Amino acid sequence: MERILTRNVDKEGSDTLAVYEAGGGYEALRGALRSGSPEKVVDEVKKSGLRGRGGAGFPTGLKWSFMPKDSPKPRYLICNADESEPGTFKDRVLLEKDPHLVLEGCLISAYAMGARAAFIYIRGEYVLASRILERAIEEAYAKRYAGRNVLGSGFDCDLILHVGAGAYICGEETSLMSSLEGNRGYPRLKPPFPAQAGLWGCPTTINNVETLANVPFIVERGASWFLSIGKPPKNTGPKLYALSGHVKRPGVYEAPLGLALRELIRDLGGGMLRDDRPLKAVIPGGSSVPVLTADECDVDLDFDSLAAKGSMLGSAGVIVMDSSTCMVKAIERVAHFYAHESCGQCTPCREGCGWMERILSRIERGEGRQEDMDLLLDVSSNILGNTICPLGDAAAMPVASFVTKFRPEFQHHVTHKKCRV
Amino acid sequence: MPKLILDGEEIEVAQGTTVLAAALSRGREIPRYCWHPGLSVAGNCRMCLVEVEKSPKLVIACATQVADRMVVRTETDRVKKARAAMMEFFLINHPLDCPICDQAGECRLQEYAVEHGAGRSRFVETKLALSKAVDIGPHVLLDQERCIQCSRCVRFCGEVTGTSELAFMSRGERTVIGIYPGRPLDNAYSGNVVDICPVGALTLKEFRFETRVWYLRNTPSVCAACARGCNVLVAVGQQQVLMTTPGQTDDRVKRIVPRTNEEVNGHWMCDEGRLSYRRLSVAPRLATAESPAGSPAEWDDAIASAAALLGDAAAAGRLAAILSPRLTAEDLYAWRRLIEALGGGRASVRRIARGEDDALLIRADKGANSEGAAWILGEAATEAEVLDAAVRGEVAALLVAGDPLDPGDTAALDPAVRSRVASVVFVGPFLSGAAEGADVRLPAAAWAEEDGSFVNFDGRVQRVRRCHPPRGEGRPGWRVACDLAAAAKAEMPQWTSADEVLAALAASVERFRGLDAATIGLLGVSRG
Repeated sequence: MERILTRNVDKEGSDTLAVYEAGGGYEALRGALRSGSPEKVVDEVKKSGLRGRGGAGFPTGLKWSFMPKDSPKPRYLICNADESEPGTFKDRVLLEKDPHLVLEGCLISAYAMGARAAFIYIRGEYVLASRILERAIEEAYAKRYAGRNVLGSGFDCDLILHVGAGAYICGEETSLMSSLEGNRGYPRLKPPFPAQAGLWGCPTTINNVETLANVPFIVERGASWFLSIGKPPKNTGPKLYALSGHVKRPGVYEAPLGLALRELIRDLGGGMLRDDRPLKAVIPGGSSVPVLTADECDVDLDFDSLAAKGSMLGSAGVIVMDSSTCMVKAIERVAHFYAHESCGQCTPCREGCGWMERILSRIERGEGRQEDMDLLLDVSSNILGNTICPLGDAAAMPVASFVTKFRPEFQHHVTHKKCRV
Repeated sequence: MPKLILDGEEIEVAQGTTVLAAALSRGREIPRYCWHPGLSVAGNCRMCLVEVEKSPKLVIACATQVADRMVVRTETDRVKKARAAMMEFFLINHPLDCPICDQAGECRLQEYAVEHGAGRSRFVETKLALSKAVDIGPHVLLDQERCIQCSRCVRFCGEVTGTSELAFMSRGERTVIGIYPGRPLDNAYSGNVVDICPVGALTLKEFRFETRVWYLRNTPSVCAACARGCNVLVAVGQQQVLMTTPGQTDDRVKRIVPRTNEEVNGHWMCDEGRLSYRRLSVAPRLATAESPAGSPAEWDDAIASAAALLGDAAAAGRLAAILSPRLTAEDLYAWRRLIEALGGGRASVRRIARGEDDALLIRADKGANSEGAAWILGEAATEAEVLDAAVRGEVAALLVAGDPLDPGDTAALDPAVRSRVASVVFVGPFLSGAAEGADVRLPAAAWAEEDGSFVNFDGRVQRVRRCHPPRGEGRPGWRVACDLAAAAKAEMPQWTSADEVLAALAASVERFRGLDAATIGLLGVSRG
């Protein structure tokens, strides 16, 4: 397939405005402004079937249409660049290699929603990407793609880069807004939703980096072109997959949404790392989604196919594990991450994540008890759905799926006090 | 107006009402930790999870607004399992040190563990060790292990006092409440965080290890520390009197906490009021009648001496009185009647003013009954006018009714005054100020030792209550006035209770018309 989102990334100086413009960059913005109709942009995005690439897969155009038309307050767009989910590094490629694509996506989307400013919230660990973005923003201002009276159109939009302090929770949209406002990164209760009362209480839409990067192409080439990619009508467009784990060529790969998982591993990833170690399991959408056993891996990587298998596309961070992987140790590490990153605001997540981690590390140490597997399932079910934000679910789902699908391995740890791998 | 169907009961509520508020309005309980009626909704404890028809997840009752025909169930198996789960979560890292915790007996963790917990924990890991007895301010200590991170105290300091001394530090299960370096929790309302802490994480230094709460007897009353008249609960416990007979005990006020009255103090009170009771125990008290000062005398003998001094001065037109603005309306009225019955005199009410009115509760006027005194005594002389008259030699006998709360608020008489006044009769609970060098001293009940009424700055008449008997021979001020009238053979009713005085007051002073204890009730009546 033609590379869309990653078409520039291999070019020399791909992060500069000159290279971006040479490839037709900012023409989509120019066209959208010339048309003078923000509604047309919203309509086109709606028709394209674009779904959020951050994890939840919510239809982007529909989300945009939630922005109130008659609010006296300023409207804001936030680009969520707090990519922190273990196994996920797709946005990083765009941020470092094609920052102007992200900026153009922000500007067109801001125009579509009448947003006065687009805030780019980037995770603190993305130091290189932050520097590149900073320079790109300066370039965009200098050529009047951003700021007051963009390209003489009368549209004002500031681009503001905000570097986070390294908290996973700040990738959650309401927590991100708290952090952006200068407060502790605590998620907020919903309702009110960001479109009603977001950043500083103003109508706000928050989209993932990759989601916004799709927008210039939809505007330029039209919704029907976008609909022809992937698995229409509900899983359309190009998609970045971040492949990691026991494969020969881990990395970020672009493919139409709905790429077969085995194809990703075999054709793009170069197959399993060692021929004598067969596939054991795959986490298809970042560490928070339910794991797939090798038998469940005949699945397409799109929102609905994975949902049908009881998992999720999530952030499309595909983590491949071969037969040398101890599933107890793997989930212990995942549980440690969520216990460490739980913000501590609400009870089930604050207490439950640490508890699950301690049970798992006890089993891993060979101190497991027979009742621990059921206990893990019950604790995770007591977290699931009972928290303020999805971090609780993100911590609970993988634990439940690992224990359920690989129970004999946990049993072996308990019975024999050691790993069988 | 939307209708809610709550466990089968149909409840019509105003638009915007939450499920929790609707339930509480019908006297139905939904367990909760973080929600407080005086603070914003935090929704973090997850204890009030309930089932809403058509909602896939449980929702929190505190933040869910009622939609029309919303069907809510609060006692399903799913809800009960969630509550038991939350209780288990709360307790896994909690130290369970109830035997040495001041909160025991009034602890939401204990209460809900019994009501909603499974009765046992499945937690076998090592509990987190955090800091205990952290000194975070002049009055408050923090136990980070007991804390359940409900954020009530953080919200109080952010939303009510606007001082934001407290914040969450760290993350996940290691999240703790704390202060910033060099910025202690020292606002004028800091004690409220102890009241609203649903567990034993925040304790008041002045109450710590004083008593177990189930030994306390609570009486609803009104604070006397300023003209606001915050509604309070006065807790009385028994104090071992160490220096006397072993086993002998004595009633003492152990604690004052605010009592909710939206018209007066909301849910709060200031630290000065909260700790005002401490002087009652520590300041030197006048235990028996003395005539002359320093010589204990029989009550009747002392009364007779005082009546003679006051009566003679009144007959000569040279009687004056200085009354505390913290005396009850009943006391003030009785003193007025006594002075009238003796033939008249100059009665003045002290004015105690310190600092400024703040934006929340504190009033510069420290006279809890200044307004009531103005209603009862009308255009009375000022204290300065009485003292000036004394210096001019126009006062033969001076009656001083001392402060019932703060000995420091009973002024000492300047030698220039004292030397020109032939006799001073002091009536009050403390050996302070004008009591020095008085000719006759008559012990009176202190605040919390007699029933009566206060009128706050806003013209609200409220009941102040007797929480324990007066110390020593102390009697209510109105009773002392009656005794003096009887001894002077002056025309004045011999009242036998504060209620009788109030009835007479209501019949005589317009602003009090129709008032009795029942009418005033627990929350007072506005007559402003």
